[in-house]
Amino acid sequence: MGAVMWIEVLSRHGEVALRERIDAAEARVGRAFDNDVVVDDPHVAPHHLRIFRGEDGELVAEDLGSVNGLYPEHGADRVPRLALAASPGLRIGRTVLRVHDAAHAVPAEKPLTPPRAHAAWAAGLAVAVLGGLLLIEWLGLTTERSANVMVLPILGFAAVVVLWSGLWALLSRLLFGQARFALQLRIALTACLAFLLWDQAAEWLSYGLAWRALDEYSGFGAWAVLGAACYGHLLSIGPRRMRIAMGVLVALLAAGAAMQYASKAEARRIAGDAATLGELKPPRFRLVAPLAPGRFLEESQAAKRAVDEARKREPPSGPLSDFDASE
Amino acid sequence: MTRRFLGLALALAVASPASAQAPAPQAPPAPVPLSSAAERVYEMAKPRILQVRTLLQAAGRQTTLGSGFVVSADGYAITNYHVVSRFALDPGTYRLEYLAPDGGKGPLRLLAIDVAHDLAVVKIDHASLPHFEFDPRALAGTLPKGERIYAMGNPLDLGFTIVEGTHNGLVDKSYDERIHFSGAINPGMSGGPVTDSEGRIVGVNVAKRVDGEQVGFLVPAHFAAALLERARLGPPLAVDKAREEVGRQLDAWQAGFYRRLEREGFRDATFGPYRGLESAAPWMTCWAATNADQVPKPRVSINTTRCSSATGIFVSDRILTGRVDITYSYHRSAGLNAFQFAHELAQHAAAAGFDPGRRLTEQSCTDAFVGDAGGARPVLRATWCMRAYREFEGLYNVTLLAATQDRDGEALLAQLAMQGVSEANALALGKRFLEELRWAR
Repeated sequence: MGAVMWIEVLSRHGEVALRERIDAAEARVGRAFDNDVVVDDPHVAPHHLRIFRGEDGELVAEDLGSVNGLYPEHGADRVPRLALAASPGLRIGRTVLRVHDAAHAVPAEKPLTPPRAHAAWAAGLAVAVLGGLLLIEWLGLTTERSANVMVLPILGFAAVVVLWSGLWALLSRLLFGQARFALQLRIALTACLAFLLWDQAAEWLSYGLAWRALDEYSGFGAWAVLGAACYGHLLSIGPRRMRIAMGVLVALLAAGAAMQYASKAEARRIAGDAATLGELKPPRFRLVAPLAPGRFLEESQAAKRAVDEARKREPPSGPLSDFDASE
Repeated sequence: MTRRFLGLALALAVASPASAQAPAPQAPPAPVPLSSAAERVYEMAKPRILQVRTLLQAAGRQTTLGSGFVVSADGYAITNYHVVSRFALDPGTYRLEYLAPDGGKGPLRLLAIDVAHDLAVVKIDHASLPHFEFDPRALAGTLPKGERIYAMGNPLDLGFTIVEGTHNGLVDKSYDERIHFSGAINPGMSGGPVTDSEGRIVGVNVAKRVDGEQVGFLVPAHFAAALLERARLGPPLAVDKAREEVGRQLDAWQAGFYRRLEREGFRDATFGPYRGLESAAPWMTCWAATNADQVPKPRVSINTTRCSSATGIFVSDRILTGRVDITYSYHRSAGLNAFQFAHELAQHAAAAGFDPGRRLTEQSCTDAFVGDAGGARPVLRATWCMRAYREFEGLYNVTLLAATQDRDGEALLAQLAMQGVSEANALALGKRFLEELRWAR
């Protein structure tokens, strides 16, 4: 039976504001200065609480007849006595206290990230993302080569990534005490790289498989990547209400994706497919065997069935002209 | 194209009746030589010509105006289909009325339509009317080029007029048989008669070119005579069945058109290392274009050949159909690598001009690589897109777009666009079009 106990007074933000070691068998808590732990809270009585060991040796808190009473940390029911073995938190007035036995188990030591590891990662990722962007721009460059055409979009992109990481770092600084900008940058750049890879994969596969819808709907992959990035940022900050934060995040992303899908579906409902070949790549990147002309035209029956079905429905409404121009 | 303008201009005539009129100068009557023939023809035609008015049933006011003329004592009259199309397609909303030069007016019944030649037969309930006769030389097609002929009607609702002009025979390079009339035809004169100096019918006013001066078109008299015959012998057009009749005629027209296209045959056309299909029909007119003269020098040289049937059937104010276009663009890189060239090609691989009108369904497309197992032809990336006419079953607008995919720095982009075509005809021509995209030997 350890004689030592620790009493922690938490700040409004949930951090430990005061930690007091008590070597006696009993401790008194209140606003008056003859207490073992003095709490500056106008809603706390001068002599509010007595903490002692019960018959089984476990810690117990007891109300000394205060006006505002004693509550479990997360409870709404006033109690005259509170056993602290199960959960160490209690609330008096507007203050939360935690009482720990000397034998209270603490989590194992968390390994430290080597210094500047995040920065090194971020630098590597930045090189990869910039290189990827330059390559993509160059492969799609059909006008005269000029520094402006190539560099300006990349500068804009870099500014957005830095701003985004900075905002998360600021949030981290406010909630966690540490900005950890390099870590936020690393997370953001990882997401950028993932997005580039996904976007390019969709574009190339869309060509290789002659599957235009893949490229057209690849935007949903972007939402998933954005979601993963936000999850990473949140995890690095480690807010106490992770579940609520994740719920809000998922709801926001789902709303964004749904809005994008709805506007796409609306445009499709009115105009249908566009008569284009989609994005083209050099012929050697074709992945599927060509169909014989007859076979291709047989497959085009799907288009006929679709428009024959559409004929039976009411024409869609929406802001488009209804003159069938022949030019 | 041409007739669409007429439709629009008709509406214009309704919207702003007699707006910009300059006061006639007060000049003393000068002894100008009169065209005694024109005077005589108009005197003779006066009791035989009509203004054909389409009235909005509910408001009782005109929405479109055209002209017409009586061709039998018992009140049969000829006009253009496009003058009565609103009534034909929606008899619940509109009704037809005639106005004679002497001020007489009354209802008109629609008896027969010929959408392909843009004609209609209407009837006045009247016995023993003075009427026009058809010119036997026009029916036989022996009217000489250069003969003076006289077009009549009520242009822009300004009053009945007579216009002297020249008969210039049938229009060259035209699938539709049309007489080229050198004289001023204006909106509102549609459906009016054109006679020789004896007052016998040579043709019916139908359209004009807006990019030329005094270039007018007439429907030859024999089509009007044939439709009149059909209207006399056959049962009259049931008012609520006119839409079905329009659909039937459009279907028959496209069947005839594609048979004719097939019969006229095809020939090869070479574009760089590729060759494609070109119609040998004289009425498929082809134009070429290039970007070679662009400044700065283009990084992909593009040479385009576009052949069009230039056919256009007026169905309603919102539907003009019946055209076939075959376009080939040969793209060749001038300094772009394979990736950049493919990207540039994709920018051009889009069919132009399919405004998503609600009279047709939304478009639906199928994509694939097309080629054959033996590798005897270049592999193509192709898309087949269709839209169905909501009001006319079995008719579609079809676009087939294909790009050769066998070389890094050059490609042939080929497009076949068909309006108002049956699925079978579209598939037959589409298959031929794809199979004939080959390497030039």
